This record gives sequence, C-alpha cells and structure tokens, in this order.
Amino acid sequence: MITFRPAQESDQKYLIEWLLQPGVLDGFPLTDLREIEDAARIWMGFSKIGSVLMAEKDGVPCGTAVLYIQPYKKLAHQCLLAIILDEKLRGHGIGTKLMTELMTLAKTKFHIELLHLEVYEHNRAIHLYERMGFQKYGFQKHFVKDQGRYIGKILMQRTL
Amino acid sequence: MNAFDIRFSEESDLSVLQSWFSTPGATENFPFGEEEKDDALKNWIGFSKYKASLTGVIGDVPCAVGTLFLMPYRKVAHHCSFYLFVDAQHRRKGIGTSMVRNLLHLAKTRFRLESVHVELFLPSTLLSIVQKLHFHEFARQDNYVHEDGRIRTRLLLEHFFA
Repeated sequence: MITFRPAQESDQKYLIEWLLQPGVLDGFPLTDLREIEDAARIWMGFSKIGSVLMAEKDGVPCGTAVLYIQPYKKLAHQCLLAIILDEKLRGHGIGTKLMTELMTLAKTKFHIELLHLEVYEHNRAIHLYERMGFQKYGFQKHFVKDQGRYIGKILMQRTL
Repeated sequence: MNAFDIRFSEESDLSVLQSWFSTPGATENFPFGEEEKDDALKNWIGFSKYKASLTGVIGDVPCAVGTLFLMPYRKVAHHCSFYLFVDAQHRRKGIGTSMVRNLLHLAKTRFRLESVHVELFLPSTLLSIVQKLHFHEFARQDNYVHEDGRIRTRLLLEHFFA
C-alpha cells in the first residue's frame, strides 16, 4: 500500500541514497557527494515548513517531493517543485500519486496558484508531467554540461 | 566633469546598495521586496569575494553595481545570471549598457563562462539593453509576480559567447 507523510530532516539519507542510484544524476545538476549532500540538505530543509512529502510503500520510504516555497512575498503564489523516486519502484504509478498529493498540498496549505518544474530533455518523466497538466513555457539549451555533452532544460508549469 | 569608470566591487559597497534600495520602489524589478531586501543585498554583494561584481563610478562615487551570480554546482558552472542596479540619478546615460558589456566581458574572460542569462519582470528598462547586446528570450512566464495588485510576466533571456 502506498501512503504519504510529511518528511523530516532525517529523511535526507533516503534522498541521498536515491540520488546515488545509477543514472539518477543524469536528471539533476549534481556531480559528487558534496553537491548531493548540499542539495539534499536544502531539499529536506523545507520539511521545517511542511513542504516536503515522503511516499512509503508498505511503510518503507520509496520517494519524496518538495515544494521550494518562495522566501519572497511577491512570488509566494507560485513555486518550483522537484520529485524523485527509488529507482526500484518506478513504473508503478507512485510518481503520479506523489505528484497529485504534492499539488493538493501546494493548493491547500500554501495557496499556490502556479506550480512549475524543470526537467532535462529526453527525461521520461516529461510524459508524467504532461499527463499531470504541465505545459512547456521555456527551454534553456546547454543548461547542463556533463563530460563535454550539453543537455537542455525544459521549463514546465501548470495553474492550480 | 568626472569620467565614468568601472572597478571590482568591494563588500563595503553594501552600504551603497542599501542606500539606493532605501528609495521607495527600488525593489520593484527584483524578486525580493522591501521586507526581504537586507538579506538579499548581503547575498548580492557577497559575490564580490569572487571578483564577480563590478561597481560603476563617476569620480570616486558609485553609480551602478552589476554582479554575476555564479552557479554552485559543477555541471552548471559554465553559465550564470546577473543583477544590475543603476542609481536613479544616472540612468539614460549609457551606464547600464556599459555595465552589462563589462559583466559579459568578465564572465567570458575571468570565469570562462559560455553564456549569461538574466531574469526580467515586464515592463523592464533593462530589456532593450540586453536585446541590444544579443540576449535571446528562452522562457516567458505570465502571472509570475504579484505585488500590490499588479501582475507581471517574467522573461528569461540568455547571451551565448561566440
């Protein structure tokens, strides 16, 4: 059974573990453990305000999603999100459920009107985001440079 | 008349930024607002430690500060964004254009960057300057800024070095 709960800072270890799974960093701008730990600290830091969710399968953490709630008042009606799943549990609909739960949290708790995300070209998650109603509003070519190879970033958004 | 010149910013230029941003409306083209500006300005001038910030001066008096916000992660360290503020008394004299030109030069020569991007909220006086300097739009997001009942569009534009 899939359940959801608010994340705690101690959940950082799961996020680091999933980021270190083979191929996962192809979808993130991170290279080494220092950068991964820094990004995971920032991600789970948002648990203090309740904007991070953990998905669990039969009580075992299998994914997390974050709303990067804006610190600035004039931007507080919109925010960026990020999501990651344990590689072993992809393709079971958990991502869709986690996104749905996150969108509900965004709307009800944080009164978000505009949700946006960033995804690299060729990432399979683009189809999930499109199914969830996100539409492309920009593309930054050459966003990532990894071992001499460039990868573009697609910017997507949807209103809530 | 004293000539316009550009030097690297110093952390002490924080007081200049604070003074300019004490004017009502000074934050309107930035993501931070009146209540949040203290931390934002400290973060901004913090990039002077890396020689990533330039201060325009007339005589010895600062009239503009422009700063490259260098990226913290290696895979994205080949590009960055920038902030620019020109003292209201010295606008429409070409100082903004000169500052952006010099920021691009700094990005290319000192930091070996491949591109520089900028976030603007429409309407923006900086738009014509960056368009003139071959920045091209890569994203447009309506309904991005809500301030005092005013809704503004965000534009993202990027300049690639040849």
